[in-house]
Amino acid sequence: MKKIAIALAAGLGLAVAADAQAQGNYPQRPITMVVPFAAGGPTDVIARIVGEHMSHTLGQQIVVENVAGAGGTTGITRASQAQPDGYTIMMGHMGTHGAAPALYPNLKYDPAKDFAPVGLAAGTPILIVARKDFPANDLKGFVEYMKTNGDKVNMAHAGVGSVSHMTGIFFNSVIKAKPTMVSYSGTGPALNDLMGNTVDFMTDQIVNVAPQIQGGNIKAFAIATPVRSPVLPNVPTTKEAGLDGYEVSAWNAVFAPKGTSPEIVKKLNDALVKALADENTKKRLLDLGGVIPSDAERSPEALQKLVETEVARWTPVLKAAGTKAQ
Amino acid sequence: MNELISNLSLGFGVAASMQNLGLAFMGCLVGTLIGVLPGVGPIATIAMLLPITFGLDPVGALIMLAGIYYGAQYGGSTTAILVNIPGEATSVVTTLDGHQMARQGRAGVALGIAAIGSFFAGTVATVIIAALGAPLTKLALIFGPAEYFSLMVMGLVFAVVLARGSILKAVSMIFLGVLLSTVGTDLETGQERMTFGLQFLTDGIDFAVLAMGVFGVAEILRNLENTETRDVVRQAIGRLLPNRDDFRQAGPSVVRGTFIGAILGILPGNGAVLGPFASYTIEKKIAKDPSRFGRGAIEGVAGPESANNAGAQTSFIPLLTLGIPPNAVMALMVGAMTIHGIVPGPQVMTRNPDLFWGMIASMWIGNLMLLIINLPMVGMWVRLLKVPYHLMFPAILMFCCIGIYSINSLPTDVMFIGVFGLLGYLLIKFGFEPAPLLLGFVLGKLLEENLRRALILSRGSLETFIDRPVSAGLLLVAIVLLALALLPSIRKGRDEVFTE
Amino acid sequence: MSQERVRERRGLVRSSQNLAAGLFLVFIAALALWLTGDLPQGRLGAMGPGMLPDWLAYAVGLCGLALAGSGLLKEGDSLEAWGLRGPFFVILAVVAFAVTIRPFSLGPLVIPGLGMIVAGPLAIVIGGYATSEAQFRPLLVLALGLTPFCMVLFGDLLNLPIPIFPQALADLLPATWSQKAILRLLAALMVLAAAAMHLSDRGRKSRKIDVVRQPEEI
Repeated sequence: MKKIAIALAAGLGLAVAADAQAQGNYPQRPITMVVPFAAGGPTDVIARIVGEHMSHTLGQQIVVENVAGAGGTTGITRASQAQPDGYTIMMGHMGTHGAAPALYPNLKYDPAKDFAPVGLAAGTPILIVARKDFPANDLKGFVEYMKTNGDKVNMAHAGVGSVSHMTGIFFNSVIKAKPTMVSYSGTGPALNDLMGNTVDFMTDQIVNVAPQIQGGNIKAFAIATPVRSPVLPNVPTTKEAGLDGYEVSAWNAVFAPKGTSPEIVKKLNDALVKALADENTKKRLLDLGGVIPSDAERSPEALQKLVETEVARWTPVLKAAGTKAQ
Repeated sequence: MNELISNLSLGFGVAASMQNLGLAFMGCLVGTLIGVLPGVGPIATIAMLLPITFGLDPVGALIMLAGIYYGAQYGGSTTAILVNIPGEATSVVTTLDGHQMARQGRAGVALGIAAIGSFFAGTVATVIIAALGAPLTKLALIFGPAEYFSLMVMGLVFAVVLARGSILKAVSMIFLGVLLSTVGTDLETGQERMTFGLQFLTDGIDFAVLAMGVFGVAEILRNLENTETRDVVRQAIGRLLPNRDDFRQAGPSVVRGTFIGAILGILPGNGAVLGPFASYTIEKKIAKDPSRFGRGAIEGVAGPESANNAGAQTSFIPLLTLGIPPNAVMALMVGAMTIHGIVPGPQVMTRNPDLFWGMIASMWIGNLMLLIINLPMVGMWVRLLKVPYHLMFPAILMFCCIGIYSINSLPTDVMFIGVFGLLGYLLIKFGFEPAPLLLGFVLGKLLEENLRRALILSRGSLETFIDRPVSAGLLLVAIVLLALALLPSIRKGRDEVFTE
Repeated sequence: MSQERVRERRGLVRSSQNLAAGLFLVFIAALALWLTGDLPQGRLGAMGPGMLPDWLAYAVGLCGLALAGSGLLKEGDSLEAWGLRGPFFVILAVVAFAVTIRPFSLGPLVIPGLGMIVAGPLAIVIGGYATSEAQFRPLLVLALGLTPFCMVLFGDLLNLPIPIFPQALADLLPATWSQKAILRLLAALMVLAAAAMHLSDRGRKSRKIDVVRQPEEI
């Protein structure tokens, strides 16, 4: 027994020696990336795809930790309070760093002030989709229909504070309609009822709805981006379909806690930019229907600006709709 | 038919490659392990193992992840039987008779029948998916909020039948369970309910935390008052595997459980959780002597375990044919597929036939492996029962703490198993049973969501539940079941009155 | 139940268990009603967040009243004795684990994250004292033996993001050592300690075992 134990200890010693090679300064140990949503969702998938390539560049594993809850604010709150040593970073998104101040009056962080922005990762465009036998066939017809029958129409969304909820409220404010809102716990059940003709329409991220559009289970009126998506080349943009003022995509970006040293932020940003330049990573993001930020959008400064404009954009929209979570 | 055979042979061709067999085995082994560990669920594990699958081809990766999922279902029943802790909502029922069997020295028989029943269920479910997967998808689309609400009402009636003692106490526990499920942020309005202003309650109470508390910790507290010292040798172990009599008794239950579980598994929104409860209810209703249930009836283990496994498997149908995940684990599988560049949806079957049929074939292979892994381990598990209780329970306690922590990385979750442990202890002292509470809790969220959704869609008219035929049918079944459950006790009550 | 025992209990309360259970439910219902008091009820077409919880609270309360009533009118079990030692130590163990696994602060109290290497043994040893037969040494051996098993299982093999050891410890060691290497080394040391203690205790081992007594009705 003792002999085995000694052998074991010796083996471990060797392992220690082997692991103890070739490490520079930062990072010296695995980096935790807090994803404030359940594993498997769009933000999580993007975090994992980008994180994998960043791990190669940094020479240390980026471990994704899913801390879901309260529209993503639970995870972001925790990560924002972590040691600013570069070993805890997070994947924030449109909700946690744009809409949250309007939705959560008791929010424990300020998206514009309590973070060291690292860089924009990828965005997923929003689509306006409806059940397949909905009376209207294009966005114009739909907006017309909403004007006369608005109160009969049921709009689904994936829960208070979700991307589909916020973009839905935004859409309604743009076309000045008041459909009945039906909330679901997540995109899956909402899509299920959209396909089963129980609800009429919703707005959601391309990753979630593209397969159902391609499969002919639901129809798409428009994509809320300036250009069409290569994944759905037949779906017109909102502008092409005749609707101005509704361009929105759910962006995801890497943040570090406030006080993280500029050198570490630079290292992380370099790794992120490198990941976005990598053909394989790029292809995987594009396959999802993702939008890759332009070079100008990739810097920490650009992200800081984005956060500020997003907070300013969402706050009045959500406040006007009287939406809040406590 | 020919098409089915060619499809299946394509599938087996993919799944039986050396690499994929190895991955299926790995998945099943890891799954069994995490299933046995109380609290550690497949969700946390699959999420952590996702990066490892990056290097694999998508089919192999998904085969391994699916193996973890059904391996965990298998392993979960082991913990339920041996130490009375249900790791998943679906193994709550297994604790009722499974743990009683273990206490009577029939742990080996219970584990054996669970494994064999699950294998049978897995085999049938694989054939069902392969043959009827696509047409059955329509079933998922028929179920709107009204149907779902009625289904949940029926599920709550099951809980009344499942109770052993006083019906009034069972009903109170169901209401209390549903009440607990309403704690947290309101889905429609985002307002907080009954959270005492505590941040960690905003997302409601986690099932695992509640189950670990009212079953795991409360069970420890109760056992601490009932321990006695005995000679090691005298502790009976009993037979390790079921014999012919056991099979004769459990066989029909396995078949019934399989079909009930398979049908409920297809429903969106986690209909699979109802499977074991429904199966148990039916077994108890048609048994010659229902009083055996809750005291170690083998049918009460065989039926629900088969239903559980069949449901676990058929819940892949909405994922594979529609791309819509019916529960959290399946949502994770969606993520795994997208990471590997396959966006799940109705086109998977035609675009990636090797993935689609390979996964279906691997389900059967996985079930076979689980049987091979688990049957020899029965002996080992049973021997664990020989560990003196004063060493056993601190170990269980630590595993519960680690397991719960691993779910959300929240220390408050760990503290809450203590709080719910006290609650469970209190309930035991008051003569309540925890199983109806848990069922009420599991179904409560779905019940409220769908009730409110259905009423929003009907603009407040309650007739929607009767106007829709499927919903009306389910409500009718619920009423009949309730009447059947209540009649004997009403009659008995009258008899008692007369004798006085 | 025999006739004599039934007669013995004829008082105002026929079943103290049911009475207490009923009152407990009434208390829970009242608590829930108080907590949901300021939530909007809404109407059927748009149910507010308070509507269903209120209905449920009334249902629980009614069940409670019925149970309490039956406790006064019908014969039934009486309340069993309560254990205090068990709940106290078990809860203490759970809390000890929760506050040491990761950094914890409550007002002026700040505990650095100590990880599983401290939290695990704390839970086992404190929890172990829930029974009056608790002995320190066997519990320590168990803690030293099981914790490294869990460290390797959860931290190394399953790769779950659970803090394993205090970060301060890693800072003491050469910066070139990886986390996993430290984990394995610590685990090996703990196993060795457990094995040494176990071997030295061997002579004192008794052949007795305690098991959970079977419920009487079986």
